[in-house]
Amino acid sequence: MSQTIRIGLLRLADSAPVLVAQERGLFARLGLDVAIAIEPSWSNLADKLTYGVLQAGVMLPPLVLAAAMGLRGPAAKMVVAMGLSQGGNTIVVGERAAARVAAPQQPTGRMVLEWLRSYRIANGRPPRFAVVHRFSTHNLLLRYWLAAAGADPERDVETVVIPPEQVAAALADGRIEGFCAGAPWGDVAQAAGAGQILLGTSAVWPSHPEKCLALAEPWLEANPESARLLVRALLQAREICATPSEAPAIAALLAREDGLALPADVALAVLPGGGASETLAFLPGAAAYPSAAHALWFLRQMRRWGWLDSRADLNAVARRVYRSEVLDAEGVPPRPVADLPPCNNRDE
Amino acid sequence: MRVLLADDNAERAGALARVLAADPAISVVLVRAGELLADAVTAFSPDIVLVDMARPDRDALDGIRQVTAHDPHPIVLFVDEDDPAFMEDAIGAGVSSYNVLGVPPPDVKPILRAAIALFRRHQEARAGQTEAETKLHEREIVDRAKAILIKERRLGEPEAYRWLRKQAMTSGKRIAEIARSVVREKEGTSI
Repeated sequence: MSQTIRIGLLRLADSAPVLVAQERGLFARLGLDVAIAIEPSWSNLADKLTYGVLQAGVMLPPLVLAAAMGLRGPAAKMVVAMGLSQGGNTIVVGERAAARVAAPQQPTGRMVLEWLRSYRIANGRPPRFAVVHRFSTHNLLLRYWLAAAGADPERDVETVVIPPEQVAAALADGRIEGFCAGAPWGDVAQAAGAGQILLGTSAVWPSHPEKCLALAEPWLEANPESARLLVRALLQAREICATPSEAPAIAALLAREDGLALPADVALAVLPGGGASETLAFLPGAAAYPSAAHALWFLRQMRRWGWLDSRADLNAVARRVYRSEVLDAEGVPPRPVADLPPCNNRDE
Repeated sequence: MRVLLADDNAERAGALARVLAADPAISVVLVRAGELLADAVTAFSPDIVLVDMARPDRDALDGIRQVTAHDPHPIVLFVDEDDPAFMEDAIGAGVSSYNVLGVPPPDVKPILRAAIALFRRHQEARAGQTEAETKLHEREIVDRAKAILIKERRLGEPEAYRWLRKQAMTSGKRIAEIARSVVREKEGTSI
């Protein structure tokens, strides 16, 4: 039990459960010795989980699936043990596009499609949209939304990857025409006058799974009891994070100079009860369950865009990567699945 | 072979470029400050990309395809599956390598090895510097503690030092820690 568990995370507001568990002594109370590592990129987190430098990480679910399927190098032994947060991303376009797209009497989707097509004709190239990682919830939800509007995400937009803290500046100086990024970066761009938030990703998939707790599989196999305690502490931390009256203290924690150093006012706005366009959610209990249905939704979208071998057994991948045994042992009931966006497109 | 080097540490990048340029078969280009990594890959079409792992824009290469006029090439992380220790070494040094053509060029490992060695040397130099600064700082604190003891207890300098050493030995702490508590008690400031 005295072995240090190293948990990696990025400078994002939805890293809060791990920081809160550490700060409030929830790990220590259960006899866990946890060290937090702030990483500069998702790739670093994935590499360090793969090579045992980290035992756990706050991860993007599609990236865990992609790493485990060998889409970014050899298949990594990495699993999803629980969900940590829901929602929190925004789809933003630059001011000029927003003026064309935001017609109150028209469905946003159709206006977006017209703008995409006319932009391409006028500029000889499709507009550039930034996401934070190819294998991110942001990219998959942006593509799903574009496709639902009738656009072809492969032809009608060019997707580039830019770190979230740089997207507002990239939009302001015209390197990109839009982006989908996590909290608080959409509100930061809007406040700076660089663009307008068209919608939050919760409008695409209400309470969609966002960050998850990923574990290095060899560590989980060797330390099932520590994994249980880790998850127990994080379930408690999620409850604190979900409580609006705790938000000021959590925002102060996220703003600490020796920690994530996020802007305190913006962090407060995106936490539950805050005033941002799209707030983070840490839904209680069953919402943390690593549901195979969620894994399958992400996998089907990845297959839809041609990223997966068409022969891959998606059910088997979902079962192998989304490991519910830790939450089962903690008595968390499986999440009733009723709210998935339909997957009735050409992928099936 | 064309090597694109993405490292904002100009001194280290220059040193590595010089090492690699010694091989006439290798041409090296550095990513300019402020340039998007993906744009640099498109402009230079390298065979491999060496990336400082501290760069947040490293994600721009993860899992993307390099679209050329003819066909898209997946860009993949270079990994030696038979040699996990080599990968741990690279992560420890903070450098990663991508193959633009999907398959690694045959002589990528010596190049990455050179990069690891250079990153490692910079890491050690930095660690050494911090250690030197800490030592310097500690010596100042011990001197201040001795001055306090000389004044307050009317000790000579050797006796003051012996007093600190004795306290350290009996409490199992370091002399610098004892000195720090003497100074803190006297001056009421945190050091």
